[in-house]
Amino acid sequence: MAFETLLEEYEKRRAKALAMGGAEKLARRRKAGTLNARERIERLFDPGTFLESGLFGASGVYPEEAEETLTDGKIAGYGKVGGRDVAAVINDFTVKGASTSATNSKKVAHMKRTATERGVPLVIIGESTGARLPDAMGARGMGQLLGNDPTQFRRLRETPMVTAVLGPSFGSSAWLACLSDFAVMHKGATMAVSSPRLIEMAMNEKVDLEELGGWRLHADVTGLVDQVVDKEEEVFEAIRRFLSYMPGHNQEAPPDAPVPAGSGADMDSVFAVLPQSRTQVYDVRRIIRAVVDKDTLFELKPRFGKSAVTGLARLGGKSVGIVANNPLHRGGALDADACRKITDFLVLCDSFNVPVVLLVDTPGFQIGTEAEKSGAPGKIMNFMNAMTLLTVPRLSVIIRKSYGRAYVCMGGGRHSDDVAAWPTAEISFMSPDFATMIVHGVKPGDPGFAEKLADIEQESDVWGLAAVFAAQAVIKPEETRDYLIRMLDVYRLRMTRGVGQHLMRSWPTSY
Amino acid sequence: MARIEIKSEITGTVWQVKSSPGDKVESGDTLVVVESMKMEIPVITEDAGTVKEILVKEKDPVAEGQVVAVIEG
Repeated sequence: MAFETLLEEYEKRRAKALAMGGAEKLARRRKAGTLNARERIERLFDPGTFLESGLFGASGVYPEEAEETLTDGKIAGYGKVGGRDVAAVINDFTVKGASTSATNSKKVAHMKRTATERGVPLVIIGESTGARLPDAMGARGMGQLLGNDPTQFRRLRETPMVTAVLGPSFGSSAWLACLSDFAVMHKGATMAVSSPRLIEMAMNEKVDLEELGGWRLHADVTGLVDQVVDKEEEVFEAIRRFLSYMPGHNQEAPPDAPVPAGSGADMDSVFAVLPQSRTQVYDVRRIIRAVVDKDTLFELKPRFGKSAVTGLARLGGKSVGIVANNPLHRGGALDADACRKITDFLVLCDSFNVPVVLLVDTPGFQIGTEAEKSGAPGKIMNFMNAMTLLTVPRLSVIIRKSYGRAYVCMGGGRHSDDVAAWPTAEISFMSPDFATMIVHGVKPGDPGFAEKLADIEQESDVWGLAAVFAAQAVIKPEETRDYLIRMLDVYRLRMTRGVGQHLMRSWPTSY
Repeated sequence: MARIEIKSEITGTVWQVKSSPGDKVESGDTLVVVESMKMEIPVITEDAGTVKEILVKEKDPVAEGQVVAVIEG
Protein backbone atom coordinates (compact mmCIF):
# COMPACT_ATOMS: atom_id res chain seq x y z
CA MET A 1 0.00 0.00 0.00
CA ALA A 2 2.72 2.43 0.98
CA PHE A 3 4.46 1.84 -2.32
CA GLU A 4 1.29 2.69 -4.18
CA THR A 5 1.01 5.93 -2.29
CA LEU A 6 4.58 6.76 -3.14
CA LEU A 7 3.97 6.02 -6.79
CA GLU A 8 0.86 8.21 -6.78
CA GLU A 9 2.87 10.98 -5.22
CA TYR A 10 5.55 10.47 -7.88
CA GLU A 11 3.03 10.69 -10.72
CA LYS A 12 1.41 13.76 -9.21
CA ARG A 13 4.70 15.59 -8.82
CA ARG A 14 5.85 14.55 -12.26
CA ALA A 15 2.67 15.74 -13.97
CA LYS A 16 2.90 19.06 -12.16
CA ALA A 17 6.53 19.62 -13.18
CA LEU A 18 5.76 18.73 -16.78
CA ALA A 19 2.89 21.24 -16.75
CA MET A 20 5.43 24.08 -16.44
CA GLY A 21 4.06 27.44 -15.25
CA GLY A 22 0.42 26.36 -15.49
CA ALA A 23 -2.40 26.18 -18.03
CA GLU A 24 -3.13 29.89 -18.13
CA LYS A 25 0.40 30.97 -19.03
CA LEU A 26 0.73 28.17 -21.57
CA ALA A 27 -2.56 29.20 -23.20
CA ARG A 28 -1.32 32.78 -23.52
CA ARG A 29 1.81 31.60 -25.28
CA ARG A 30 -0.18 29.35 -27.60
CA LYS A 31 -2.42 32.28 -28.49
CA ALA A 32 0.62 34.40 -29.30
CA GLY A 33 1.97 31.58 -31.51
CA THR A 34 4.99 31.01 -29.24
CA LEU A 35 6.19 27.50 -28.49
CA ASN A 36 6.56 26.49 -24.85
CA ALA A 37 9.74 24.97 -23.46
CA ARG A 38 8.61 21.35 -23.84
CA GLU A 39 7.44 21.92 -27.40
CA ARG A 40 10.88 23.35 -28.08
CA ILE A 41 12.47 20.18 -26.69
CA GLU A 42 10.42 18.10 -29.16
CA ARG A 43 11.68 20.20 -32.05
CA LEU A 44 15.30 20.25 -30.95
CA PHE A 45 15.89 16.53 -30.41
CA ASP A 46 15.36 13.36 -32.41
CA PRO A 47 11.90 12.03 -31.41
CA GLY A 48 11.73 10.35 -28.02
CA THR A 49 15.41 10.80 -27.11
CA PHE A 50 15.16 13.45 -24.37
CA LEU A 51 16.19 12.33 -20.89
CA GLU A 52 15.58 15.00 -18.30
CA SER A 53 17.96 15.94 -15.51
CA GLY A 54 16.44 17.79 -12.58
CA LEU A 55 12.71 17.47 -13.31
CA PHE A 56 11.97 17.71 -9.58
CA GLY A 57 14.17 20.74 -8.94
CA ALA A 58 12.67 23.87 -7.40
CA SER A 59 13.75 27.10 -5.73
CA GLY A 60 16.82 26.52 -3.61
CA VAL A 61 16.36 29.86 -1.84
CA TYR A 62 12.68 29.83 -0.81
CA PRO A 63 11.42 26.28 -0.05
CA GLU A 64 7.91 27.71 0.46
CA GLU A 65 7.91 28.70 -3.23
CA ALA A 66 8.45 25.15 -4.50
CA GLU A 67 5.05 25.08 -6.20
CA GLU A 68 5.74 28.23 -8.25
CA THR A 69 9.28 27.27 -9.14
CA LEU A 70 8.88 23.81 -10.70
CA THR A 71 12.08 22.72 -12.44
CA ASP A 72 13.26 26.13 -11.20
CA GLY A 73 12.50 27.55 -14.66
CA LYS A 74 15.31 25.95 -16.59
CA ILE A 75 14.81 22.46 -18.03
CA ALA A 76 18.00 20.44 -18.44
CA GLY A 77 18.83 17.10 -19.96
CA TYR A 78 20.28 14.99 -22.73
CA GLY A 79 18.95 14.13 -26.14
CA LYS A 80 20.11 13.13 -29.59
CA VAL A 81 20.54 15.41 -32.58
CA GLY A 82 21.07 13.50 -35.80
CA GLY A 83 21.74 10.40 -33.68
CA ARG A 84 24.48 12.05 -31.58
CA ASP A 85 24.29 13.06 -27.91
CA VAL A 86 23.82 16.68 -26.91
CA ALA A 87 23.46 18.25 -23.46
CA ALA A 88 20.91 21.05 -23.29
CA VAL A 89 19.29 23.72 -21.16
CA ILE A 90 15.87 24.90 -22.25
CA ASN A 91 14.62 28.01 -20.47
CA ASP A 92 11.00 27.83 -19.33
CA PHE A 93 9.77 31.41 -19.37
CA THR A 94 6.47 30.43 -17.73
CA VAL A 95 8.29 29.70 -14.48
CA LYS A 96 9.55 32.95 -12.97
CA GLY A 97 10.60 34.20 -16.41
CA ALA A 98 13.32 31.52 -16.43
CA SER A 99 15.26 33.84 -14.14
CA THR A 100 18.54 32.62 -12.75
CA SER A 101 18.60 31.33 -9.16
CA ALA A 102 20.39 28.74 -7.03
CA THR A 103 18.96 25.42 -8.22
CA ASN A 104 18.81 26.22 -11.90
CA SER A 105 22.38 27.53 -11.80
CA LYS A 106 23.42 24.09 -10.56
CA LYS A 107 21.47 22.49 -13.42
CA VAL A 108 23.15 24.69 -16.04
CA ALA A 109 26.59 24.03 -14.52
CA HIS A 110 25.87 20.29 -14.53
CA MET A 111 25.03 20.33 -18.25
CA LYS A 112 28.09 22.39 -19.09
CA ARG A 113 30.34 20.12 -17.05
CA THR A 114 28.98 16.94 -18.63
CA ALA A 115 29.26 18.42 -22.12
CA THR A 116 32.80 19.67 -21.56
CA GLU A 117 34.21 16.64 -19.76
CA ARG A 118 32.49 13.92 -21.79
CA GLY A 119 32.67 15.54 -25.22
CA VAL A 120 29.17 16.39 -26.34
CA PRO A 121 27.87 19.70 -27.70
CA LEU A 122 26.02 22.07 -25.35
CA VAL A 123 22.80 23.71 -26.53
CA ILE A 124 21.07 26.56 -24.69
CA ILE A 125 17.53 27.54 -25.68
CA GLY A 126 17.33 31.06 -24.33
CA GLU A 127 14.42 33.21 -23.20
CA SER A 128 15.10 34.73 -19.83
CA THR A 129 14.68 37.83 -17.71
CA GLY A 130 18.06 37.71 -15.95
CA ALA A 131 18.89 37.16 -12.29
CA ARG A 132 15.89 36.26 -10.08
CA LEU A 133 14.86 38.87 -7.54
CA PRO A 134 14.84 39.02 -4.61
CA ASP A 135 17.03 35.88 -4.60
CA ALA A 136 20.12 37.74 -5.79
CA MET A 137 19.44 40.88 -3.77
CA GLY A 138 21.84 42.29 -1.24
CA ALA A 139 25.27 41.21 -0.18
CA ARG A 140 24.08 37.81 1.06
CA GLY A 141 22.12 37.16 -2.13
CA MET A 142 25.04 38.10 -4.32
CA GLY A 143 27.50 36.12 -2.26
CA GLN A 144 25.29 33.03 -2.26
CA LEU A 145 24.22 33.08 -5.90
CA LEU A 146 26.81 34.71 -8.10
CA GLY A 147 30.37 33.90 -9.02
CA ASN A 148 30.74 30.61 -7.19
CA ASP A 149 31.49 28.63 -10.32
CA PRO A 150 34.63 29.98 -12.00
CA THR A 151 34.01 27.77 -15.05
CA GLN A 152 30.53 29.20 -15.68
CA PHE A 153 31.75 31.58 -18.37
CA ARG A 154 34.97 29.81 -19.31
CA ARG A 155 35.26 28.89 -22.97
CA LEU A 156 38.08 26.60 -24.05
CA ARG A 157 36.03 25.24 -26.94
CA GLU A 158 36.28 21.59 -25.91
CA THR A 159 32.87 21.00 -27.50
CA PRO A 160 30.62 23.06 -29.76
CA MET A 161 28.24 25.41 -27.96
CA VAL A 162 25.04 26.76 -29.47
CA THR A 163 22.48 29.26 -28.18
CA ALA A 164 19.03 30.17 -29.46
CA VAL A 165 17.92 33.73 -28.73
CA LEU A 166 14.13 33.68 -28.31
CA GLY A 167 11.68 36.17 -26.81
CA PRO A 168 13.28 38.47 -24.25
CA SER A 169 16.85 37.27 -23.77
CA PHE A 170 18.37 39.29 -20.97
CA GLY A 171 20.97 38.11 -18.49
CA SER A 172 22.13 34.51 -18.91
CA SER A 173 20.56 34.02 -22.36
CA ALA A 174 22.48 37.03 -23.69
CA TRP A 175 25.74 36.06 -22.00
CA LEU A 176 25.60 32.48 -23.22
CA ALA A 177 24.67 33.50 -26.77
CA CYS A 178 27.79 35.65 -26.90
CA LEU A 179 29.95 32.79 -25.60
CA SER A 180 28.57 30.36 -28.17
CA ASP A 181 30.05 29.09 -31.40
CA PHE A 182 26.69 29.54 -33.07
CA ALA A 183 23.91 31.91 -32.00
CA VAL A 184 20.61 31.89 -33.86
CA MET A 185 17.97 34.54 -33.22
CA HIS A 186 14.25 34.54 -33.89
CA LYS A 187 12.94 37.78 -35.41
CA GLY A 188 11.08 39.59 -32.65
CA ALA A 189 13.44 38.38 -29.91
CA THR A 190 15.53 40.84 -27.93
CA MET A 191 19.06 40.31 -26.69
CA ALA A 192 20.47 42.96 -24.39
CA VAL A 193 22.37 43.48 -21.15
CA SER A 194 19.35 44.99 -19.45
CA SER A 195 15.62 45.32 -19.99
CA PRO A 196 13.97 48.56 -21.17
CA ARG A 197 12.19 48.85 -17.81
CA LEU A 198 15.44 49.14 -15.86
CA ILE A 199 16.97 51.41 -18.50
CA GLU A 200 14.02 53.75 -18.23
CA MET A 201 14.24 53.84 -14.43
CA ALA A 202 18.00 54.28 -14.27
CA MET A 203 18.69 56.50 -17.23
CA ASN A 204 15.35 58.08 -18.00
CA GLU A 205 15.76 56.81 -21.53
CA LYS A 206 12.68 55.43 -23.23
CA VAL A 207 13.85 52.64 -25.48
CA ASP A 208 12.21 50.54 -28.06
CA LEU A 209 12.86 46.78 -27.67
CA GLU A 210 13.90 46.35 -31.31
CA GLU A 211 16.28 49.29 -31.15
CA LEU A 212 17.77 48.07 -27.87
CA GLY A 213 18.45 44.51 -28.93
CA GLY A 214 16.43 43.48 -31.94
CA TRP A 215 17.50 41.23 -34.78
CA ARG A 216 18.55 44.05 -37.10
CA LEU A 217 20.95 45.41 -34.49
CA HIS A 218 22.60 42.04 -33.92
CA ALA A 219 22.56 40.80 -37.51
CA ASP A 220 23.69 44.05 -39.17
CA VAL A 221 25.61 46.09 -36.60
CA THR A 222 27.00 44.06 -33.68
CA GLY A 223 27.50 40.74 -35.48
CA LEU A 224 26.75 38.96 -32.19
CA VAL A 225 24.27 36.57 -33.76
CA ASP A 226 25.20 34.25 -36.59
CA GLN A 227 21.80 33.72 -38.15
CA VAL A 228 18.32 35.22 -37.93
CA VAL A 229 15.19 33.26 -38.77
CA ASP A 230 11.59 34.28 -39.49
CA LYS A 231 9.80 31.35 -37.89
CA GLU A 232 10.48 29.81 -34.50
CA GLU A 233 10.61 26.28 -35.96
CA GLU A 234 13.55 27.38 -38.11
CA VAL A 235 15.60 28.04 -34.96
CA PHE A 236 15.71 24.32 -34.25
CA GLU A 237 16.42 23.38 -37.86
CA ALA A 238 19.35 25.84 -37.83
CA ILE A 239 20.79 24.34 -34.63
CA ARG A 240 20.48 20.78 -35.93
CA ARG A 241 22.09 21.79 -39.18
CA PHE A 242 24.97 23.67 -37.54
CA LEU A 243 25.75 20.65 -35.37
CA SER A 244 25.77 18.37 -38.45
CA TYR A 245 29.00 20.09 -39.61
CA MET A 246 30.63 19.80 -36.19
CA PRO A 247 32.35 16.95 -34.34
CA GLY A 248 30.94 16.09 -30.91
CA HIS A 249 34.17 17.40 -29.35
CA ASN A 250 37.52 18.79 -30.41
CA GLN A 251 39.36 15.44 -30.28
CA GLU A 252 37.56 13.98 -33.29
CA ALA A 253 37.03 14.96 -36.92
CA PRO A 254 33.62 16.21 -38.06
CA PRO A 255 31.28 13.48 -39.34
CA ASP A 256 31.04 12.69 -43.05
CA ALA A 257 27.77 12.99 -44.95
CA PRO A 258 26.60 11.49 -48.24
CA VAL A 259 27.31 13.65 -51.30
CA PRO A 260 23.93 14.90 -52.60
CA ALA A 261 23.03 14.03 -56.19
CA GLY A 262 23.65 16.93 -58.56
CA SER A 263 26.74 18.20 -56.67
CA GLY A 264 29.15 19.88 -59.08
CA ALA A 265 26.55 20.03 -61.86
CA ASP A 266 26.98 23.80 -62.24
CA MET A 267 30.76 23.76 -62.53
CA ASP A 268 30.72 24.16 -66.33
CA SER A 269 29.07 27.56 -66.01
CA VAL A 270 31.02 28.80 -62.99
CA PHE A 271 33.45 30.91 -65.06
CA ALA A 272 30.49 32.82 -66.52
CA VAL A 273 29.74 34.21 -63.04
CA LEU A 274 32.74 36.54 -63.44
CA PRO A 275 31.87 39.75 -65.32
CA GLN A 276 34.01 40.53 -68.38
CA SER A 277 35.13 43.85 -66.93
CA ARG A 278 37.36 43.97 -63.86
CA THR A 279 35.52 47.09 -62.69
CA GLN A 280 32.28 45.16 -62.32
CA VAL A 281 31.17 43.05 -59.40
CA TYR A 282 29.40 39.74 -58.82
CA ASP A 283 28.06 37.69 -55.93
CA VAL A 284 30.73 35.18 -54.88
CA ARG A 285 28.03 33.03 -53.26
CA ARG A 286 27.08 31.87 -56.76
CA ILE A 287 30.58 30.44 -57.14
CA ILE A 288 30.57 28.90 -53.65
CA ARG A 289 27.19 27.22 -54.21
CA ALA A 290 28.43 25.70 -57.47
CA VAL A 291 31.68 24.42 -55.95
CA VAL A 292 30.47 22.87 -52.67
CA ASP A 293 28.20 19.84 -52.31
CA LYS A 294 24.69 20.74 -53.43
CA ASP A 295 22.72 22.85 -50.94
CA THR A 296 25.32 22.49 -48.18
CA LEU A 297 26.39 26.15 -47.82
CA PHE A 298 25.37 27.29 -44.31
CA GLU A 299 26.29 30.95 -44.17
CA LEU A 300 27.20 32.62 -40.87
CA LYS A 301 26.65 36.33 -40.19
CA PRO A 302 25.33 36.94 -43.74
CA ARG A 303 24.25 40.53 -42.98
CA PHE A 304 27.43 41.57 -41.17
CA GLY A 305 30.79 42.51 -42.73
CA LYS A 306 29.28 41.56 -46.06
CA SER A 307 32.41 42.03 -48.18
CA ALA A 308 33.40 38.65 -46.77
CA VAL A 309 31.34 35.48 -46.86
CA THR A 310 31.90 32.88 -44.14
CA GLY A 311 30.04 29.62 -44.11
CA LEU A 312 30.18 25.95 -43.32
CA ALA A 313 29.68 23.58 -46.23
CA ARG A 314 30.74 20.14 -47.47
CA LEU A 315 33.10 19.10 -50.20
CA GLY A 316 32.91 15.46 -51.21
CA GLY A 317 30.85 14.81 -48.08
CA LYS A 318 33.38 16.37 -45.68
CA SER A 319 32.88 19.52 -43.60
CA VAL A 320 34.76 22.59 -44.76
CA GLY A 321 34.75 26.25 -43.76
CA ILE A 322 34.54 28.66 -46.67
CA VAL A 323 36.06 32.14 -46.39
CA ALA A 324 35.46 34.22 -49.51
CA ASN A 325 35.70 37.85 -50.49
CA ASN A 326 32.44 39.13 -51.93
CA PRO A 327 32.99 41.82 -54.60
CA LEU A 328 29.24 42.50 -54.51
CA HIS A 329 29.86 44.52 -51.36
CA ARG A 330 32.55 47.23 -51.20
CA GLY A 331 34.06 45.62 -54.29
CA GLY A 332 35.37 42.94 -51.93
CA ALA A 333 37.43 45.39 -49.84
CA LEU A 334 37.73 44.00 -46.30
CA ASP A 335 36.59 46.40 -43.59
CA ALA A 336 36.93 45.97 -39.82
CA ASP A 337 33.61 44.08 -39.56
CA ALA A 338 34.61 41.67 -42.32
CA CYS A 339 37.92 41.03 -40.51
CA ARG A 340 36.10 40.40 -37.22
CA LYS A 341 33.76 37.99 -38.94
CA ILE A 342 36.57 36.06 -40.64
CA THR A 343 38.65 35.88 -37.44
CA ASP A 344 35.66 34.53 -35.52
CA PHE A 345 35.11 31.93 -38.22
CA LEU A 346 38.75 30.83 -38.42
CA VAL A 347 38.73 30.27 -34.65
CA LEU A 348 35.60 28.14 -35.02
CA CYS A 349 37.04 26.03 -37.83
CA ASP A 350 40.40 25.47 -36.17
CA SER A 351 38.85 24.66 -32.80
CA PHE A 352 36.65 21.94 -34.30
CA ASN A 353 38.95 20.45 -36.93
CA VAL A 354 37.15 21.86 -39.96
CA PRO A 355 39.49 22.46 -42.95
CA VAL A 356 39.36 25.93 -44.50
CA VAL A 357 38.99 26.95 -48.15
CA LEU A 358 39.66 30.60 -49.07
CA LEU A 359 38.28 32.08 -52.30
CA VAL A 360 40.09 35.30 -53.07
CA ASP A 361 38.92 38.38 -54.96
CA THR A 362 39.75 41.51 -53.00
CA PRO A 363 41.23 44.89 -53.87
CA GLY A 364 42.65 44.86 -50.32
CA PHE A 365 41.67 46.12 -46.91
CA GLN A 366 39.26 49.03 -46.74
CA ILE A 367 41.15 52.32 -46.54
CA GLY A 368 39.87 55.73 -45.50
CA THR A 369 38.98 57.57 -42.30
CA GLU A 370 35.95 55.41 -41.45
CA ALA A 371 38.12 52.29 -41.59
CA GLU A 372 40.75 53.82 -39.32
CA LYS A 373 38.11 54.95 -36.80
CA SER A 374 36.93 51.37 -36.52
CA GLY A 375 40.43 50.23 -35.55
CA ALA A 376 41.11 48.52 -38.86
CA PRO A 377 44.83 47.77 -38.31
CA GLY A 378 44.04 45.89 -35.09
CA LYS A 379 41.30 43.84 -36.72
CA ILE A 380 43.54 43.10 -39.69
CA MET A 381 46.27 41.82 -37.37
CA ASN A 382 43.79 39.59 -35.50
CA PHE A 383 42.90 38.08 -38.87
CA MET A 384 46.58 37.80 -39.84
CA ASN A 385 47.51 36.19 -36.52
CA ALA A 386 44.61 33.74 -36.79
CA MET A 387 45.95 32.66 -40.19
CA THR A 388 49.36 31.97 -38.64
CA LEU A 389 47.80 29.91 -35.83
CA LEU A 390 45.49 27.83 -38.01
CA THR A 391 46.40 24.14 -37.78
CA VAL A 392 43.69 22.58 -39.94
CA PRO A 393 44.29 21.97 -43.66
CA ARG A 394 43.62 25.08 -45.72
CA LEU A 395 43.66 25.82 -49.40
CA SER A 396 43.27 29.10 -51.23
CA VAL A 397 42.04 29.79 -54.73
CA ILE A 398 42.73 33.21 -56.24
CA ILE A 399 39.76 33.99 -58.47
CA ARG A 400 40.57 37.54 -59.47
CA LYS A 401 42.18 40.33 -57.43
CA SER A 402 44.59 39.71 -54.58
CA TYR A 403 46.37 42.83 -53.40
CA GLY A 404 48.66 44.00 -50.64
CA ARG A 405 48.37 42.75 -47.06
CA ALA A 406 45.05 41.09 -47.98
CA TYR A 407 46.99 38.78 -50.33
CA VAL A 408 48.79 37.37 -47.30
CA CYS A 409 45.76 37.31 -45.00
CA MET A 410 43.71 35.48 -47.61
CA GLY A 411 46.20 32.64 -47.69
CA GLY A 412 48.96 33.96 -49.96
CA GLY A 413 52.43 32.40 -49.89
CA ARG A 414 52.85 29.82 -47.14
CA HIS A 415 49.65 30.93 -45.43
CA SER A 416 47.87 28.12 -47.28
CA ASP A 417 48.95 24.51 -47.65
CA ASP A 418 48.47 25.04 -51.37
CA VAL A 419 47.62 28.07 -53.49
CA ALA A 420 45.76 27.66 -56.77
CA ALA A 421 44.83 30.51 -59.11
CA TRP A 422 42.36 30.93 -61.92
CA PRO A 423 43.85 32.36 -65.15
CA THR A 424 41.97 35.57 -64.30
CA ALA A 425 44.06 36.11 -61.15
CA GLU A 426 45.89 39.43 -60.76
CA ILE A 427 48.31 39.85 -57.90
CA SER A 428 50.26 42.90 -56.81
CA PHE A 429 50.87 45.30 -53.99
CA MET A 430 48.03 47.53 -55.21
CA SER A 431 45.64 47.98 -58.13
CA PRO A 432 47.58 48.60 -61.41
CA ASP A 433 45.97 52.06 -61.96
CA PHE A 434 47.18 53.39 -58.65
CA ALA A 435 50.51 51.60 -58.93
CA THR A 436 51.13 53.33 -62.29
CA MET A 437 50.39 56.73 -60.79
CA ILE A 438 52.61 56.18 -57.77
CA VAL A 439 55.51 54.37 -59.42
CA HIS A 440 55.68 56.45 -62.61
CA GLY A 441 54.18 59.73 -61.40
CA VAL A 442 51.70 59.89 -64.30
CA LYS A 443 47.91 60.32 -64.20
CA PRO A 444 45.27 58.84 -66.53
CA GLY A 445 45.32 60.98 -69.70
CA ASP A 446 49.03 61.89 -69.34
CA PRO A 447 51.29 60.87 -72.24
CA GLY A 448 52.72 57.39 -71.61
CA PHE A 449 50.13 56.42 -68.95
CA ALA A 450 48.48 53.74 -71.10
CA GLU A 451 51.78 52.02 -71.94
CA LYS A 452 53.02 52.11 -68.36
CA LEU A 453 49.66 50.78 -67.14
CA ALA A 454 49.81 47.91 -69.65
CA ASP A 455 53.30 46.96 -68.41
CA ILE A 456 52.20 46.95 -64.79
CA GLU A 457 49.08 44.93 -65.60
CA GLN A 458 51.17 42.32 -67.31
CA GLU A 459 53.49 42.12 -64.33
CA SER A 460 50.44 41.41 -62.15
CA ASP A 461 49.14 38.42 -64.08
CA VAL A 462 48.97 34.85 -62.80
CA TRP A 463 52.04 33.55 -64.64
CA GLY A 464 54.44 35.55 -62.47
CA LEU A 465 53.01 33.95 -59.35
CA ALA A 466 53.17 30.46 -60.89
CA ALA A 467 56.75 31.01 -62.15
CA VAL A 468 58.10 31.66 -58.66
CA PHE A 469 56.01 28.78 -57.21
CA ALA A 470 53.91 31.15 -55.05
CA ALA A 471 50.95 29.49 -56.75
CA GLN A 472 51.33 25.71 -56.90
CA ALA A 473 48.66 25.37 -59.57
CA VAL A 474 46.84 27.40 -62.19
CA ILE A 475 43.47 25.76 -62.64
CA LYS A 476 40.55 26.19 -64.99
CA PRO A 477 37.53 27.50 -63.08
CA GLU A 478 35.44 24.42 -63.90
CA GLU A 479 38.10 22.21 -62.26
CA THR A 480 37.89 24.02 -58.91
CA ARG A 481 35.57 21.57 -57.15
CA ASP A 482 37.51 18.44 -58.16
CA TYR A 483 40.83 20.15 -57.37
CA LEU A 484 39.70 21.13 -53.85
CA ILE A 485 38.30 17.68 -53.03
CA ARG A 486 41.53 16.04 -54.19
CA MET A 487 43.80 18.50 -52.39
CA LEU A 488 41.83 18.35 -49.12
CA ASP A 489 42.47 14.63 -49.26
CA VAL A 490 46.19 15.15 -49.96
CA TYR A 491 46.51 17.53 -46.98
CA ARG A 492 44.40 15.43 -44.59
CA LEU A 493 45.80 15.34 -41.03
CA ARG A 494 46.57 11.62 -41.16
CA MET A 495 48.80 11.42 -38.10
CA THR A 496 46.19 12.90 -35.78
CA ARG A 497 43.11 11.42 -37.50
CA GLY A 498 41.94 14.86 -38.62
CA VAL A 499 42.49 16.62 -35.28
CA GLY A 500 44.25 20.00 -35.25
CA GLN A 501 46.09 21.74 -32.40
CA HIS A 502 43.37 24.27 -31.39
CA LEU A 503 45.86 27.04 -30.69
CA MET A 504 43.03 29.62 -30.62
CA ARG A 505 40.74 27.70 -28.28
CA SER A 506 40.92 30.44 -25.67
CA TRP A 507 40.49 33.36 -28.09
CA PRO A 508 37.59 35.72 -27.42
CA THR A 509 34.10 34.67 -28.47
CA SER A 510 33.39 38.01 -30.10
CA TYR A 511 35.66 40.77 -31.42
CA MET B 1 5.64 48.34 -41.89
CA ALA B 2 9.15 49.36 -40.99
CA ARG B 3 11.03 52.35 -42.37
CA ILE B 4 14.36 50.99 -43.57
CA GLU B 5 17.29 53.24 -44.41
CA ILE B 6 19.54 51.99 -47.18
CA LYS B 7 23.12 53.17 -46.73
CA SER B 8 26.11 53.28 -49.05
CA GLU B 9 28.78 50.91 -47.77
CA ILE B 10 31.51 52.97 -49.33
CA THR B 11 32.66 56.52 -50.07
CA GLY B 12 32.48 57.45 -53.76
CA THR B 13 30.38 59.11 -56.44
CA VAL B 14 26.89 58.16 -57.58
CA TRP B 15 27.25 56.50 -60.95
CA GLN B 16 23.67 55.42 -61.65
CA VAL B 17 20.31 55.63 -59.91
CA LYS B 18 18.51 52.37 -60.61
CA SER B 19 15.18 52.82 -58.87
CA SER B 20 12.61 55.48 -58.10
CA PRO B 21 9.97 56.11 -55.43
CA GLY B 22 7.07 53.71 -55.72
CA ASP B 23 9.17 50.81 -57.06
CA LYS B 24 8.60 47.43 -55.46
CA VAL B 25 11.96 45.88 -54.57
CA GLU B 26 13.12 42.43 -53.49
CA SER B 27 15.99 41.43 -51.22
CA GLY B 28 19.20 41.71 -53.26
CA ASP B 29 17.96 44.41 -55.64
CA THR B 30 20.31 47.25 -56.56
CA LEU B 31 18.95 50.75 -55.86
CA VAL B 32 21.95 52.91 -56.71
CA VAL B 33 25.43 52.24 -58.16
CA VAL B 34 28.39 54.07 -56.62
CA GLU B 35 31.74 54.47 -58.38
CA SER B 36 34.58 53.94 -55.93
CA MET B 37 38.11 52.53 -56.12
CA LYS B 38 37.65 52.33 -59.92
CA MET B 39 34.78 49.88 -59.45
CA GLU B 40 31.02 49.98 -59.85
CA ILE B 41 29.70 49.16 -56.40
CA PRO B 42 25.97 48.49 -56.02
CA VAL B 43 23.93 49.73 -53.07
CA ILE B 44 21.70 46.76 -52.35
CA THR B 45 18.60 46.34 -50.21
CA GLU B 46 18.56 43.34 -47.88
CA ASP B 47 14.82 43.76 -47.38
CA ALA B 48 11.86 43.60 -49.74
CA GLY B 49 9.52 46.60 -49.78
CA THR B 50 8.51 49.76 -51.57
CA VAL B 51 10.93 52.56 -52.35
CA LYS B 52 9.82 55.69 -50.49
CA GLU B 53 12.68 58.08 -51.20
CA ILE B 54 15.83 58.24 -53.28
CA LEU B 55 18.10 60.81 -51.64
CA VAL B 56 20.89 61.11 -54.22
CA LYS B 57 21.29 61.86 -57.91
CA GLU B 58 23.95 60.96 -60.46
CA LYS B 59 27.41 62.46 -59.84
CA ASP B 60 26.61 63.26 -56.18
CA PRO B 61 29.44 62.43 -53.78
CA VAL B 62 28.42 59.93 -51.09
CA ALA B 63 30.13 59.08 -47.83
CA GLU B 64 30.39 55.67 -46.20
CA GLY B 65 27.25 55.09 -44.15
CA GLN B 66 25.27 57.84 -45.89
CA VAL B 67 21.58 57.07 -46.37
CA VAL B 68 20.90 57.02 -50.12
CA ALA B 69 17.38 55.61 -50.12
CA VAL B 70 14.51 54.79 -47.81
CA ILE B 71 12.21 51.85 -48.28
CA GLU B 72 9.17 50.69 -46.41
CA GLY B 73 8.94 46.97 -45.87
